[in-house]
Amino acid sequence: MTQDAAIDLFVENAEKAGARVVRVSSAHELNEVLSGMLEGATAVYSPGVTPTEKGLAIPPDRSTEDYVNASACVEEVSAAVAETGSLVCSSQGGKPVQAGLLPGHHIAIVAAEHVYEDLDRFFAALGDAPPTNITLETGPSRTADIELTLTIGVHGPDRLSIIVV
Amino acid sequence: MRVQLFVTCLIDTFFPETGEATLRLLRYFGVDAVLPTEQTCCGKPADSGGYRYESRKAAEHFLSVFGRSTDPIVVPSGSCASMVKNHYPELFRDDARLHAQATAVAGRVYELSQFLVNVLKADRAGLKGRGKITYHASCQLTRELGVKEEPLALLRSLDAAEFVPLPSADRCCGFGGTFMAKMPEISMALADEKLDTILSTGADTVTGCDHGCLMNISDAIRRRGAAVQAKHIAVVLAEGLA
Amino acid sequence: MSLPTGSIPFRENAAQAIRNEALRAAMRNATGVFAVKRADAVSAVPLEEWRDKASETRLQVLDHLADYVDRFAKSAVRAGATVHRAKDAETAREIVACLLKDHGIQKAVKSKSMISEEIHLNDYLEKQGVTVVETDLGEYIIQIAREHPSHIIVPAIHKDRRQVGKLFAEKLGCAYTEDPAALTKIARAKLRQEFLSAEAGISGANFAVADSGSLVIFTNEGNGRMCTTLPRLHIAVTSIEKIIPSVADLPKFIRLLPRSATGQVVTTYLSMITGTRKAGEATGAKDLHIVLLDNGRSSIVAGEYREMLKCIRCGACLNACPVYQTVGGHAYGSTYPGPMGIILTVLLEGMERAHTLLDATTLCGACADVCPVKVPLPRLLRRLREQRTEMGLTPTMERQGMAGFGMAAKSPTLFGAGQQAARLLWPLARKIGVKGTLARMPIPAEQPFRRRIS
Ligand code: SF4
Repeated sequence: MTQDAAIDLFVENAEKAGARVVRVSSAHELNEVLSGMLEGATAVYSPGVTPTEKGLAIPPDRSTEDYVNASACVEEVSAAVAETGSLVCSSQGGKPVQAGLLPGHHIAIVAAEHVYEDLDRFFAALGDAPPTNITLETGPSRTADIELTLTIGVHGPDRLSIIVV
Repeated sequence: MRVQLFVTCLIDTFFPETGEATLRLLRYFGVDAVLPTEQTCCGKPADSGGYRYESRKAAEHFLSVFGRSTDPIVVPSGSCASMVKNHYPELFRDDARLHAQATAVAGRVYELSQFLVNVLKADRAGLKGRGKITYHASCQLTRELGVKEEPLALLRSLDAAEFVPLPSADRCCGFGGTFMAKMPEISMALADEKLDTILSTGADTVTGCDHGCLMNISDAIRRRGAAVQAKHIAVVLAEGLA
Repeated sequence: MSLPTGSIPFRENAAQAIRNEALRAAMRNATGVFAVKRADAVSAVPLEEWRDKASETRLQVLDHLADYVDRFAKSAVRAGATVHRAKDAETAREIVACLLKDHGIQKAVKSKSMISEEIHLNDYLEKQGVTVVETDLGEYIIQIAREHPSHIIVPAIHKDRRQVGKLFAEKLGCAYTEDPAALTKIARAKLRQEFLSAEAGISGANFAVADSGSLVIFTNEGNGRMCTTLPRLHIAVTSIEKIIPSVADLPKFIRLLPRSATGQVVTTYLSMITGTRKAGEATGAKDLHIVLLDNGRSSIVAGEYREMLKCIRCGACLNACPVYQTVGGHAYGSTYPGPMGIILTVLLEGMERAHTLLDATTLCGACADVCPVKVPLPRLLRRLREQRTEMGLTPTMERQGMAGFGMAAKSPTLFGAGQQAARLLWPLARKIGVKGTLARMPIPAEQPFRRRIS
């Protein structure tokens, strides 16, 4: 499978799982798309750890350090898996993995070259000394605990948006 | 061609007409069916009930009766055929001599529909049927013997009869051998649900390859006073013979 | 806590469950939905190949279980965790209680864990004055209703939305609603406060990875992630057979577990926790304690029921079981219901108490069809029935009947005489019949088939 095919498959599966996915090709385009996604968000958290995160144009008046009470979290995630449409959130580099979980809207940015074709390739690359916390996140939080009726947004976000750069 | 017929104790005792239908069918196809008269029961009730000693007694007897000839053994019951084919070798897991015998006999066992289709090609013989027929896929037949297509092929081939598939055909009817006696409430509830699906097809006959299940389904029919009949597949097929 | 004595009254429980129309409807709906979803999820994948490989990996661990436990413990310690080994339920409960006490903690949030049910952890902690808040929505419903789970994946499967609505109105003081989305929102708000204030999180683990010392947890709601990342103390209680060799083995199980359980390709969250928060990290508990429960497993793995320990607790065999579908989980009177539950309960709680559950199966084999790791459930059930007979736990009447059957089966003459006697005595026997079973069978033919044609 070519990398392009893997990205296509990732987009398809992530959308199937209930995420909204947009593909962009430049930092400029990324910020354009992001500002659209942030419409209505009052308190935006971003860890600002990776170069991509540092280059994000988040309006200062709506930016917050407090992810617990933020309405949206924008972050770059470390990888994605095409087979399942999953994002890989990692605690490596001092990132608070829980930040993507608490706000109602999780906006994840993933670099195209970090999309793995399948679970085998991803876990082989991860190896036997993974970081403290790795979470594969696939679609928004959900439950079917009442009469198996699917309900979105239990403890985690009810909206998941993904930008593939 | 010659075969040995193991008619099963249930048919022998309660449903002799099914035994007769089986014989007529085999003879119709030119098969010389021999009925060893010393046959009793394959031991299935004891086996599934957890009575290994008793089921071994029955199995040893079966092996001695049916081990005398090397002719194929035809059994008009999926669960009894599977008992001999799959459970005997397990039953004699710690007895090399009997295990070898059991394995040899197991290789010669055919459930009736399996024999009719795979050996006699009876699904291409233009057999006749009547009415609207649906089919219950009994558990051991389907899951242990893997006989899924043969009965369907036979029923679909019937001239002048309409075959209607049964929804969730392979869901258990609640017979389960001793289960019927030990858990009557659940057994009846499952048979009732089976009957619901049977009635939903509009068929006038439900057939199958195991009299145990058909007996349990018949009871559900009787309790509800429903206008449908449960008949063994041998009877359904033999009815259309000239 | 001592277990109730006597054997589980399964038949009585079942008879009662069958008359409960709301329960029947809820079970029919839920198990029906699951069956369809699972079938869809596995229709386009090389399922047989996956099952074989997964089964092989599980057996590989069971073949050297003690070694794998050591390997896991070493790796986990290297990553910063503290590992405790608990030989039985009582020890495991005490370890958890002591840890909480040592940390001066009076309230813990908890994500779903069947092992904690197996050791009756919540009851015990509550008696010690610790408040435990279940955070999985289904478990939360069960907890406020003061019940036990009736399914290993969907604990409140037996309740319909009206029952949940009433329960919430009554116990949480909110306005009555039966809209699942609204009910979920109510629980979310309540539980969010608990997460943020909790000082300890208790979880189970779906898998434990020997080479990395990682715990792997599958959830859909996100509560597992919260319980394991927000509080400063994380206690994971899991059993020794959940170990898999390496990280590279995970895909096999990720592919099978959610598909078999809920028909999902993967659960929404799959968390992998490896040790404690390191310097410079912003995620992870500062203190991670892993309690490895044995509770009889070391001896089970050495015996003829070892394959039961391949189980990955997906619940597919429950959903596929006609008996479970009909009576629900509570009738089993045990932590684990359904086909896997019968076997585990006998193995964990003993034959005397659990032998009655061995009748809760028609041996139809539907469970084995769906099991992702090929546990030979019907064969294990038959073996346990044999063991029950050997232990003399079957009714006297049945034993005598079977003894007679054994004699008749090897003697055609006796067998013929039996048939004749049955024919003669049938009308009378039917009247006093064994639980009415004979009345549900036809009358023996006047002449057996063999006699007719010979
Ligand atoms: S026995 Fe198999 S089907 Fe049943 S819960 Fe365990 S893994 Fe799932």
